[in-house]
Amino acid sequence: MTKDIDHISKTEFMEKLESYRKGSITRRHFLNVTGLGAATAVLGATVPGLRPSPAFAGNIGDRVVVATWPNYHDPANFEAFTEATGAHVQVNVFGSNEEMLAKLQAGATGWDVYVPTNYTIEDYVKEGLIEPLDTSKLPNYDASAFDPRYAEAGSVDGTLYAVPKNWGSTGMAVNTKHNDGKPISSWKEFFDITMDKFSGRTMVHDYQLTTIGSALNYHGYSFNSVDEKELADAEKLLIEVKPHLFAITSDYQPSMRNGDAWLTICWSGDGKQLNTDIPEIHYVLGKEGGEIWSDYFAIPKSSERKEAGYALINFLLDPQVNAKEVLAHGYPTADSRTFDLLPDSLKNDPILFPAQELLDPLEFGAAVTLTDPNRAELMARFKSA
Amino acid sequence: MRIYAICVYLFLYIPIGVIALFSFNAGRHASQLQGFSTKWYGKALNNPFVMDALETSLMVAFASALFASVFGTMAAVALQGIKGPVRTAFDLLIYVAVMIPGIVIGIATLIGLVTVFDQLNPLIASIWPNGFEPPKLRMGMGSLIAAHTMFLMALVVIIVRARLAGMDRALTEASSDLYATPMGTFRQVTLPLIFPAILAGFLLSFTFSFDDFIIAFFVAGSETTLPIYVFSSIRRGVTPEINAIGTMVMGVSLLMLITAQMLLRRGGKKTK
Amino acid sequence: MTHRTRNWLLLAPAGTWFLVMLIIPLSVVFIFSFGERAPSGGVVPAFTFEQYANLPARWTAFKNTMTLAPIGTLLALLIAYPLAYFLAVKANPKWKTILLVLVIVPFWTSILIRSYAWIFLLGGRGIPALLEWVGLEGIRLINTPFAVLVGIIYGYLPLMVFPIYVSLDKLDKRLLEASSDLGAKPWRTFLQITLPLSIPGIATGCMLVFILLMGEYLIPALLGGGKVFFVGNALVDLFLQSRNWAYGSAVAVALVAVMLITVTFYMRLISRLGASREDVSIM
Repeated sequence: MTKDIDHISKTEFMEKLESYRKGSITRRHFLNVTGLGAATAVLGATVPGLRPSPAFAGNIGDRVVVATWPNYHDPANFEAFTEATGAHVQVNVFGSNEEMLAKLQAGATGWDVYVPTNYTIEDYVKEGLIEPLDTSKLPNYDASAFDPRYAEAGSVDGTLYAVPKNWGSTGMAVNTKHNDGKPISSWKEFFDITMDKFSGRTMVHDYQLTTIGSALNYHGYSFNSVDEKELADAEKLLIEVKPHLFAITSDYQPSMRNGDAWLTICWSGDGKQLNTDIPEIHYVLGKEGGEIWSDYFAIPKSSERKEAGYALINFLLDPQVNAKEVLAHGYPTADSRTFDLLPDSLKNDPILFPAQELLDPLEFGAAVTLTDPNRAELMARFKSA
Repeated sequence: MRIYAICVYLFLYIPIGVIALFSFNAGRHASQLQGFSTKWYGKALNNPFVMDALETSLMVAFASALFASVFGTMAAVALQGIKGPVRTAFDLLIYVAVMIPGIVIGIATLIGLVTVFDQLNPLIASIWPNGFEPPKLRMGMGSLIAAHTMFLMALVVIIVRARLAGMDRALTEASSDLYATPMGTFRQVTLPLIFPAILAGFLLSFTFSFDDFIIAFFVAGSETTLPIYVFSSIRRGVTPEINAIGTMVMGVSLLMLITAQMLLRRGGKKTK
Repeated sequence: MTHRTRNWLLLAPAGTWFLVMLIIPLSVVFIFSFGERAPSGGVVPAFTFEQYANLPARWTAFKNTMTLAPIGTLLALLIAYPLAYFLAVKANPKWKTILLVLVIVPFWTSILIRSYAWIFLLGGRGIPALLEWVGLEGIRLINTPFAVLVGIIYGYLPLMVFPIYVSLDKLDKRLLEASSDLGAKPWRTFLQITLPLSIPGIATGCMLVFILLMGEYLIPALLGGGKVFFVGNALVDLFLQSRNWAYGSAVAVALVAVMLITVTFYMRLISRLGASREDVSIM
């Protein structure tokens, strides 16, 4: 907060905000008490260029546009935000990080908040697409509350560009009914069984990172490899497997549910949902490795409603709000304050929070993995083969 | 023959029946029936993202159809009285506009406009008076409407021109023989005769624009149209909410068609 | 205001629109197709034929499109023609309008949602389950070229029925009566009078469906499970996944070239079959 309008202390502010959110005071009262309404109105009118900076400034505009993934938020949280600030949340959903990056590079603008995955942040910074975050506008962000493993990709060269939203893993979901009740446990088994008794029943993602990554894992290479020889081995495997695949798609839930497909590359949140409804579908991590990822919040440089963007991120970082988000999307949080608010059943869930030794071999996707032209072209060849 | 027709209608309507059936599914997944419920209708209607997308789609479809029918009709009328290179050029443009696949229109519009905007934006900023925020050209609803209008306009020209070609020339000649001004002839004679074609063009344009996914996918910028919303939901698991939206859109359009039909019939009787 | 200025004014908006939204974008695509992929995606200007030389890498996509688009068009025609004939000639006039409307109504639901219904119908719990019930086991329909064809026919049938219906409806019924009065067998009447007179409708319908199919993306993406790959799918991947604008532009130019050649050839063929060019271009 800037000094000019710091009429009440930060804690008081947050208390007022809390009670406001609970509905005990009106918006006008809230703005008057905190002095934000009057101060920002006066400052905004008289000093051009000096914009209100606190998280819940009186006037953050009438909307904020978020670029995110499908089924990734609790709509009720957005409604609460609109009620609190008057800014309507407009959501734009993307299919993959590749698609998001492609549209941004093509100069598409209009978003105020992105939800990039760890490996894209470095590129966004390099391309000048996102800007350093001003933590003074994010009072709910407490760096010490986050497991650094899921927060460190948010900083590039020591500057904070993104704050963590939630994390997850990419493993496989297998319908054990068709494998004598046994799950599988490695990418080697994944591809071998696909070419054998699961022929025509397996799905892989339709973007390169995880599909090529798991083929690399099969050979014992790194998920992130861009080595030509290793990629050639992965391509050979993928082309060989292709006739045995049921589909190349990232929308694998319906086919797993109706029994057409028995095995798929799978994100942990989907794995959780499948397992809850159909217990014989197990979510497992490959023992050779695989992907672990963390999604973040960032603010695009091109945004013209940055105050609204900050306000929304700050709102979603509130542990109370974030806990509701977790309940909605089913992915684990890296924020210990939010974790504490979760029901025990979720805290001890082996899919959401796997044992450490299972997580150890997993790798975070690297920035070069995403942008490597050879991997992109390999995937395209595999799909059009 | 009749049995064949029934079979084709079954082919057309079974999938729609399936959509409607699953929209009443109590479960949250579109592929497993778990009892009857109408809750997804309420969910869809109360989902601000769905309503926003619907609003965007309706606005884009209406604006594109309006621009396309007005400018398309104007061009069709003008082309009627023109010969020579201009006519040939327009014929070629219309041919190309209709023939190019939507996906190429989408891609070309995206990279073409982005490239042009990159050149223009600094220029605009440099000539803009100091102290005012210069406007920034960008992809969004404007570019989407412009792209839709472009190929729909070509469609309207074709439809209206077919009607103009089939029109009895004697009528316009008679009108001008009776000393009507060209404008008068147009208003009194030509317009009423080609109006059904314009209306048809408008409705067709509206449908195409409302249903278009691929062009919008590339040029909509940060806007979400209904097909884009549906597509992104399909990619990560569909809930019966999508079925409810589909059923409602179809129900409303059926209602509109029937109303239009009844109005036309009544209008037809009156003029008789 | 002279005639000339009036016509110019009437043409100005459409002309400007075509210039900005058609000519300029297509020129940019053409120019980019000679460029190179920038290291982080996008394009760097250059003058190279490298992208065109690399076109064979998408041969399967072109092959799939060039086989499934004509087959789909033909099948749609075969299914649509009898229906259009029934509606125009045989159907009770009282029901005609409502029957026609019923053909269009499915067109009003998003093709996305309709294709999604087919995902269910062709999936394990749909038609294959029925087939199993009558003893045909292990039949897989979803994510095959067959599924894509069903989706194509389903999606574009109304576009085929309509033009054929219009041309058959215009047909003077007295011709048919005269023909049968003169003792011609029904099939001869059909072959010698009805069919030739409906060629403009057939030509229009086929062209409309064929054009849409050549650029198809959604139906193969949804019903082909990523395994039946069209040029449209290759283009989306190139622009939205691998961000290779230069190569993507070359593929787009190639697609347009293929279409120009096929459609021009097709129009020649049709006009030789007796329909005038003017009729064909009325869509």
